[in-house]
This record gives sequence, structure tokens and C-alpha cells, in this order.
Amino acid sequence: MKTRNEKLQRSALSLAVHGALAAMFAMPLMVMAADDEVSVLTRPTSSVEVGVAGVSEKSAKFGEYNGLNDSGAYGIANFNIGGGSAYDAYDGGNGTLRWEMNGRDLGTTSREFGASVSSQGSWDVRIGYDELRHNVSDTYQTPLQGAMGGNNFTLPVTFGTFNAQTNPSARTLDAQYQLGAFHTEEVGSTRKNTAFGAGFHFSRQLSIRFDYNHLDQSGAKLQAFGNQGGAAYATIASGIGRAEAVSVLMAPTNYKTDTFSLAVNWVGDKGYLTAGYFGSIFRDGYDSLSWQNAMLQTTGFTGCAPGGACTYQTNVASTAPDNQFHQLNLSGGYAFSPSTKLVGGFSYGRNTQNDSYASAVMQVGGLPQTSLDGSVVTTHANLKLTNRTTKDLSLSAGIKYNERDNQTTSNTYNYVEIAGGGYSGISTPYSNRKAQLELAGDYRIGKKQSLRLAYEHEYIKRWCNNVVGGAECVASPSSDEDKLGLTYRLKAGDNVKLNVGYAYAKRNAEFNHLYKANTGNYAVAATINGGDYAGYLAYPYASRTQNIVKAGLNWQATERLDFGVSGRYSFDEYEATLGVQDGSSASFNLDATYTYSENASVSAYVSWQNSERDLSAGAAGGVPAPSVTVAPTNVFSNQLKQDGSSIGLNTKHAFLGGKLELLGDLSYSLDKSHYSTQVPYLATCGATGTLTCGDTPDIKAELVAFKLTGSYRIDKHAKVALVYLYQNLTSSDYYYNGYQYGYTPNRVMPTNEQAPNYEVSFLGASYVYSFQ
Amino acid sequence: MKHWKKLLIVCAAIAGLGQLGAAYAGNDGAMASSADRSLKGDQVCTECHDENDNKAVLAVYKGKHGVKADGRTPGCQTCHGASEAHVKNGPKKGEVGGKRGAVDVVFGAKSTLSTREQSEVCAGCHKGDKRTHWTASQHDSGDVSCVSCHTNHTHQDKVLKKATQPQVCYTCHKEQRAEGRKMSHHPVAEGKIACSDCHNPHGSAGPKLLKKNTLNETCFTCHAEKRGPFLWEHQAATEDCSNCHTPHGSNISPLLKSRAPFLCTECHDGPHNSKVPVAANAGGTQAGLTAVPSENYTGRGCMNCHSVIHGSNHPAGALLHR
Repeated sequence: MKTRNEKLQRSALSLAVHGALAAMFAMPLMVMAADDEVSVLTRPTSSVEVGVAGVSEKSAKFGEYNGLNDSGAYGIANFNIGGGSAYDAYDGGNGTLRWEMNGRDLGTTSREFGASVSSQGSWDVRIGYDELRHNVSDTYQTPLQGAMGGNNFTLPVTFGTFNAQTNPSARTLDAQYQLGAFHTEEVGSTRKNTAFGAGFHFSRQLSIRFDYNHLDQSGAKLQAFGNQGGAAYATIASGIGRAEAVSVLMAPTNYKTDTFSLAVNWVGDKGYLTAGYFGSIFRDGYDSLSWQNAMLQTTGFTGCAPGGACTYQTNVASTAPDNQFHQLNLSGGYAFSPSTKLVGGFSYGRNTQNDSYASAVMQVGGLPQTSLDGSVVTTHANLKLTNRTTKDLSLSAGIKYNERDNQTTSNTYNYVEIAGGGYSGISTPYSNRKAQLELAGDYRIGKKQSLRLAYEHEYIKRWCNNVVGGAECVASPSSDEDKLGLTYRLKAGDNVKLNVGYAYAKRNAEFNHLYKANTGNYAVAATINGGDYAGYLAYPYASRTQNIVKAGLNWQATERLDFGVSGRYSFDEYEATLGVQDGSSASFNLDATYTYSENASVSAYVSWQNSERDLSAGAAGGVPAPSVTVAPTNVFSNQLKQDGSSIGLNTKHAFLGGKLELLGDLSYSLDKSHYSTQVPYLATCGATGTLTCGDTPDIKAELVAFKLTGSYRIDKHAKVALVYLYQNLTSSDYYYNGYQYGYTPNRVMPTNEQAPNYEVSFLGASYVYSFQ
Repeated sequence: MKHWKKLLIVCAAIAGLGQLGAAYAGNDGAMASSADRSLKGDQVCTECHDENDNKAVLAVYKGKHGVKADGRTPGCQTCHGASEAHVKNGPKKGEVGGKRGAVDVVFGAKSTLSTREQSEVCAGCHKGDKRTHWTASQHDSGDVSCVSCHTNHTHQDKVLKKATQPQVCYTCHKEQRAEGRKMSHHPVAEGKIACSDCHNPHGSAGPKLLKKNTLNETCFTCHAEKRGPFLWEHQAATEDCSNCHTPHGSNISPLLKSRAPFLCTECHDGPHNSKVPVAANAGGTQAGLTAVPSENYTGRGCMNCHSVIHGSNHPAGALLHR
């Protein structure tokens, strides 16, 4: 029989052995664990994510940019893989090589892919591919035949022509041949960016960098065009079209843009210099866009009944012309002393365009030239001297100069415009020059406060080179603006930061009422003020006074809780008898974040924005009505009010010792735009047949979004992730009213486009594998 | 001419003050030159700030600042200073609750240095090129330092990634965050465009910290089809895209400040129907109008016919119809 002591001895021995064994194996394990921790910190973690996702409802608006416009299943595929000897640094390695490959959203049309390899301090090379499908509409309907992305749209021969009716509710299209010909198109454009970049360091001081980007666009955007018509047009070709009848078309975006930039950088002890070239070459796959018109003049022309073999009027518009921009850039700086620096830059660019004109079917006579041979020279220069005489005082003085000198020849073009009348247009190649002087001083009052005073003077000159007939082409040949800004900053204790700012600006614009513009018909000799009423000023060119007040406060209430509040108010007042009178904008933002543990926080925000604009305009009179001064009793007003508010709540929380992580994001936003027109001189403006006064329906968008992301770590390499997204958009916009079947204006081919409304759920599940 | 003279006088005055202030050397790399940049030099810090440190200090070795084989790479003390008070004045062995002396250069909210002084530490190496215009730029003057946006002790700085960059910018730019949620917006929230595609936060010669010299030049980087020059130009468009558009978001598509015809009436009073008051009839018959609505104000309004509003290259396009 064994004694209790023997048992104890054996137990003690056993414990010692176990302890030794444990020490033998556990120590390396502990070291390995420590190594793992170091490795996680010092080496890159690569990851590959694969999964599936489902979208509940088809919506072009929900999928406007995210590639999730169709309902159904999508693949989830993301990866980020990297490595290289540069990551051995903590272990004493002396490598500089770093490489990385990444892919995101590969299962959608918003996919992107990139790869780079570099030897830090020596060279780097990168490539990238980025795709973006911009979904424009999935409700657009048209009877025109021709694929999206094409530039020729025709009508079915049996579609027939139609005349406008006076009563909108009675204006119906033939059910079989006309309504039946309408088909829905999913309109959108796809952008594919392919990028290449490389850099090389010749020495610590000298390096060179080259970047190239090829942007390939396809698809279309919706654009409305007025059709040719009228008797005068009929004298040129067999036109039967209703003057200015509107067709909404899938205007092709068959574009290719190549962008190059090359820069040589030199950095010395006291100075630095960058010399570079930037080039952008744009090409449009089409020179023109053509379409057929079925809308007839109400009188004087014989139509073709639906079901018959009809021929239609063909219209031709230009598309974006090929163009090039080449620019040489030089910028640099020099430190005269540690406290005084001078920086500056100079750019010289040339923008040319010589694409052949599209069909001249509307031309009465010959063309002065068959292409524009357009040339614009852009010049930029800037210089800024800064000084910090003491730690507390910073001063700066700078000048900027920008010029767009359009050297294109001005010519006269005679043609028949779409309303059917003869038009004599003189091209006015616009040029402008802007010179700015900027002075600023920052003064720190102790460690807690600072004051900034800034002054800016801006001079703008506008002109056209050699306009045929020597006419003045701009309403405001020059303007001077003085701006004064004052900002005060305060650090109250360690936890509160406050800033308050005020800015005042006064613009004095010269005005020439004798100017002529494209908007006026040069054939009408009496046209002055660009065809506007005397006293009417376009707002960008009117004298203006501007006041801006803004303030912000950040308060770190506790280690875990912080608040941020900011607001801004601006008021612009224009010196114009007619035109925009004034405008204001206001905004308020409140943010709060509570970090209730190391891996858990909740934050909330509220944003509110408002803007208003008041405009006065003269009553409709005879056309043209140049030189006429509108009596104050014949002035109507229009006000735009826009309100936007959004609130959001985000939370992050880790459970199960960090294995389970949840992220929640809830937001709501409401935006409204509203126009109100007052016509005091017209008692009948509110009659149901007129409605030229009163309010427009709200343009309204209300979006609720909820996103919940959860990930559960299975082991140190693997985790599973689940994403649920819900979005509900409710929008209303009177914009679409006029395009509906039976409700269109009498010269508009309906499209039946609808305001975007959707309620979409997205659910995705994925497996993420991480490794080092 | 008088402005140029004023400028010359101001520049001369500032240059003169500069000579007086030459004694003030700031932090321009002064402490950097003496610091041991090697891994061994870093051990002064990493001995304590190891993998068990609350802050992931060692993660600096994943980033460019950790690659010692690159001769330009700083050491811990290059940026944080020798910090002798911190290194040498630690708690004595066995002392509980003892505190170390302060680090010379601390970055961020707890720093005793001004934001400008913090930035100067970085600017000791990172000068020229995209940072040419940093000094006295909007951010530099606005109490923003490099570390307000950048995180160094990490592998992937959030502000350098397209998908996560807006979160960093929206920390301060709340109005832009709200605008980015509106119906019409650039695909920023979707991670396809970053703020830095248009802006250079380190300072620029353009307005609003734009990368290019002018607003239009910046827009034409992507929207080259609107660059022209066109045979028939639209003056407002050639001068400033923001006469009609607002870049960060709008309730009115496409990124418009207002809806036609009201938008157009802000500049044009003359051409035919822009003299006509418009109200609920813009909504056509579905908004209560019983008469046939006019295509001049419904839908795209003026742009139902003035289609190529950015400029036309058609010989019959003087009125931007073609």
C-alpha cells in the first residue's frame, strides 16, 4: 500500500515533469506568439475575399455608380496581396522592393484592378484599370431605332407622323403603330480607365515621373434636341418637321481621352523645382448625331398615316469635337532663410480643335471654313513670398495671373435656325484674363489664440479677338473685386477649439450695354445688351457685395466623448435693376462621437443646409425688345429656396473578444428645391390655363439607408463576413411631367421617363482569407 | 499698374523682415541631422514601444518610413526628436506610478507644438513637387498639420486610399459630406473618385486648392469633351463651370445649381421665352396646367432646344441648338 507521502512525492515529481515539458514547449510557443504579433505589426497582411451577393430590385438609380443596377446575384471578389524585401526592415533586412496587387468589386461593373512594384528611393512602376458604369435611366422610352451608343436613330417606316393637339389629355398616339413602337432602353455610359505610371530617382535630389491614362467612354447620355422646321427650312430641303419639336435622344459618348504627364523634380537644400509637361488628347468616335422626326407642323404639311410607308425629316447635330491640350509647367521654391520663402510657377498651354464640321444641311450659303482651326492659349503665373519673422507672426504676399486667349478666327455663318427663320451668326471667341493680389498675415496671441487677416484684389478682363464687325461681345469687359477676411482661433484649455471667421467682398463690374452676344440675332441691327432688357445683368458679371460669417467649435468633453459644431452663413447682394437681386446660404452641422471601449464607438451627425436666390425679370414684350427699360410695374420676381437635411448614426462594436465585429450605419436625408414666381402686373397668372405665377411643385428626394456589416473571425487566417444594405429612395420631380405620354407639350416626343424611386435590399456573404 | 507697385513694396518689406528673422530657424530638419536613423538607433524607442505597446508603433516598419535601406528614411528620433527627457528620465526600477519625461516632438492633438511647427518637421524632407504651395496655403493657415490627415504608423494610410479618403476629409468638411448624399453627385461615396482627384490638399496655385490652375482646367481633366474650343462658345461655360454647376452634390441633376429655365434666367432675359414668367406651368398639365404646356420650360426647359449648352461646333449652332 502506498503511503500518502509517496503519492505526494509522485505528484510533485509529475508536476515538475509536466512543468518542465510545459516550459520546453510553451516557451517557443510564447516566442512564436510574440513573433506573430511582431509580424502582424511589421509585415503586410494580404487578403482574398470571395462571396456572393444578391440585389432585390432592379434600379438604375440605386446602381447609378455601384454596378448593382440589376436584381439578382453578383459575385463578390476583392483582393489585396503585397510583399517584398522592404518589409524585412524590422528584421534587419536591407531590401527596398515592395510589390502590391489589388482588386476591388471585381464582380460588378464598378470593378478596379491595380498593381505596383517599387524599389523605394530608386524607381516605381504601377498599372491600374478602373471601370465605372454610370447608369442614367432604365425608364427612358423611344420609338427611335438604333442601339444605345450609336449616332443614327431612325423611325419605323410605319410609325407615321402626328400633329399636336390643343388638349393635352386628348393628344394620344396611335396605339398600334406609334405607342407600340415605343421601347424601353437602359441608358448609361461606361468609363474604362487604364493607367500606367513610373518614376525614377536619379539621385536624392533629382527624380522623374511619367503618368499615362487612357479613358475610354462608351454608351450614351440623354440629351434633348429641337427638330428643324418651318417654311424657310423647306426652301433648303424637303422639311416637313414641326419647328422646334423636341426629341430626347441617347446622345452617344463614344469618347477616348489620352492624358500624359511628365515631370522632372529637383530638390536641394534651399530650393526645389519641378518642370513638367501635361498633355490631353480627346477623340470622339463620331462627328455628328442624326435622327428622324415624326412631328409635323400643325398646318401646311401633309403627314403620313401610321401604318403607311413613311419618310421622315432627318436632323443632324454636332457631337463633341476632337481637341488637344498641351501644357508646359514650371514651379519651384527657394528659401532665402529658414523664415523667408519664395514659391512660384508658370504654365503655358495650347488648346486646339480642328474637327470637320458636321453636315451643313441647314446652311443657306457656303461656309467660310470647313473646320474651326480653333486655338486657345492659356497662360498662368503665380508668385508667393512668405515670411515668419517670429514664431508668432506669419506674412504672405502673392500674385496670380491666368489668361485664356482665344485666338480663333471670328466668322459669319448664315443658316436657317430650327424655328425656321434665317440667322446670321457671328462667332465670338471669348478670352478672359484674371489677375489676383493676395496679402495675408497670421498672428499668434500666446499659445491659445491666433488671428488671421487676409486681403485679396481680383481684376478680370474679358474680350473677343477680331470679332467680325468689331462688335463688343461681352456684357462686362472688366471687373475689380476686393476681398477682406478675418479669422480668429481660440484653444480654450486642452479640450475646446473655436474658430470664427468673417469675410467681406465687393465687386465693381464695368458694364457695356452695347454688347452683342450669340443669344441676339446679329441680323437685327438694333440689338443691344445681348438682346436683354436695359438694366438686366447676368449675375456672374454684375457688381456684387458679399458677406460671409462662419464658426466652428470642437469640444473633447471627456476622453471618450467629443462634439463638433460648425455653421456658415453668406449673403450676396447684386447691383442690378433686373436679374439676380440677392442670394443667401446657410448651413449647420453637429457631430458627436462616443467611444465607449477600445473597439466600440457610436457617432451621430446632423447637417442642415438652406439657400435662397431672388431674381427680378421684365415682362414679355415685343421680340426683340432690346433698349427697352421695363417699367417697375411690369417686373416679375422668382425665388428659389433649397433645403437639405441629413442625419446619421454609425456604430462599431466588437464581441467575443474581438472575434465578432459589427458595424452599423443608419442615415436619412431629405432635400427640397422650390421655385416661387410672383407676377404682380398680371391678374390672370394664377388661372389654371396659365399658372405663370405661384409655386412649382417641390423637387424632393428622401433617402433612407441602413447598412449592417458583420464579420466573424474563424481563426487567425479566416473570417466570414455578412453585409446587409437597405436603401429606400422616394423622389418627386416635375421635370418628368412634361415627358409623359399624353402630357407632353405639343412639340415633344414623350419618353415616359420616371423620377427615380426604389426600395432595394442587398445581401452579401463572403469568406476572407488573410495571410502574411 | 498701381497694384504691381503695391505688391513690390509689400514683397520688399517682407523680404526685409525675413533678414531680421533669420535667427529663427524653426524645426527645419535641425534635429533630424543628428538622429540615428538606423534600426539600432530606433531601438532606443522600440525596446519599450514594442509589440505589446498600446499604440501600434512598430507598424511604422510596414510603411515607407520604416525602410532602412532607403537612405532618406528617418529614424524615430528624426521626427520625434532626441527626447532625452523621455529616454533617460524614466521611472526607476520597481517604482510604481512613475512617469517618464516628455517626448520632444509629439504629433496630433496632444502636441505642445503648434500645427505649423508639427508640419515643419515633415516639411524638412517632404518639400517641393505637390507640396510646393503648402506654406500659407488654406490648410497651413487653417490650423491643419500633416498628421491631421495622415497616419504614419500604419501600412495603409486611410487618406491615401481612394475608397477611404473622403472619410478623412469629411472630418472637417461637413458641408461636402452632406452634399455628397444628394441625388446628383460625383461617385465619391461609391469610392470611384477621391477628393484628391480634383484637389491638392497640400496647396495649389488654383482656386479652392484645386490641382490645376483654374476650375475649368480641373474639370476638363475628366470632361475633356467640354473643353473645345468650340465654334460657338457659351461665355459662362468657358469662364467658370461653377456658374451653373456645383461640384459636391445637388438636388438638381446633373449637379446643377438651379433648374432650367430659372437657371438660364439668371443670365438671360432677352431670348424669346426667357422673358416669360414661369411657375407651376413648369410642371405641365400634371402640375395643374390645363392648357398645352410649353417645351420652353417643361423637362429640360431651355435645354430642350439649346442642347449643346457647353458649346457647339456645328456651323448652324450659334444658338447652341446643334
